[in-house]
Amino acid sequence: MSWMTRSLFTCQDMSRLLSDAMDQSLPWHVRLRMRGHLRICALCRRYEQQLTLIRAVLRKNSATLNDENRPTPPGLTPEAKARIQQALDSRRP
Amino acid sequence: MTDRPLTDSQSLIDHHGDFLYRFALVRVRNQDVAEDLVQETFLAALQGTYRESGQSAERRWMIGIMKHKIVDYFRRIAKEPLQQADPTDGPDIHEAFLDDGHWNPDAAALHQWPEQPDGLIDRRQFWDALAGCMERLPPRAAQVFTMRELDELETEHICELLQLTPTNFGVILHRARKQLRDCLSIRYFGQPQEGLRS
Repeated sequence: MSWMTRSLFTCQDMSRLLSDAMDQSLPWHVRLRMRGHLRICALCRRYEQQLTLIRAVLRKNSATLNDENRPTPPGLTPEAKARIQQALDSRRP
Repeated sequence: MTDRPLTDSQSLIDHHGDFLYRFALVRVRNQDVAEDLVQETFLAALQGTYRESGQSAERRWMIGIMKHKIVDYFRRIAKEPLQQADPTDGPDIHEAFLDDGHWNPDAAALHQWPEQPDGLIDRRQFWDALAGCMERLPPRAAQVFTMRELDELETEHICELLQLTPTNFGVILHRARKQLRDCLSIRYFGQPQEGLRS
């Protein structure tokens, strides 16, 4: 990949690398160069913070999606329930 | 602990139907598919033997079955060609950057997120905005993103299930995350939020 040989990461490289770093552990020399870039680049620091925030909100709320006391979007329609019940009752021995 | 077969389809549907439907819907984003998954889950549940007692254990057991059904579904559609070209392939990803690879300051100016975002995590409106933005992701991106961030599956596992190369996986998630960031910047931070800015 072109960014591997580049002496300095651009912000565009960084936006990809910051995402990659959330899914895998990157080689130490890449992480080192990322840290160097982040130290001097406020916009990339902000981008990293935003991605981290999005992940935190999702992971927190994936638990509350399973919380029945929370207002939730509509469930099965009565028609769907009837259809499923019919399928269950007809296919059982 | 009691071994008892689940037999009453009516009570299964009453107790778990809506929950499982929503669980599936947020992941597969298609009402018909979600309904089918609920039905498949119940069919599997009726054939299995349930080994614990209590509502919440029963719910956990159901979720376990449902997760397998969802994975099966993703595996199935991974083999089908996508109907249309992935809209994330467009050139818009680059507009945020200048030719020299720096953030475009004009575009970046949109993205005035608060410096201390901790309180946002618990904000209902922020979650709603994020959920709305996720719905706008292209189908494949939404699938990968959901499996990674909502179900917290490992990278290798997702690549295997969806038959993606690590590079494709990286590109898809990178674009999805950036699209979500941009979408939130506009939909949530675009107008001043009460109590958000001092």
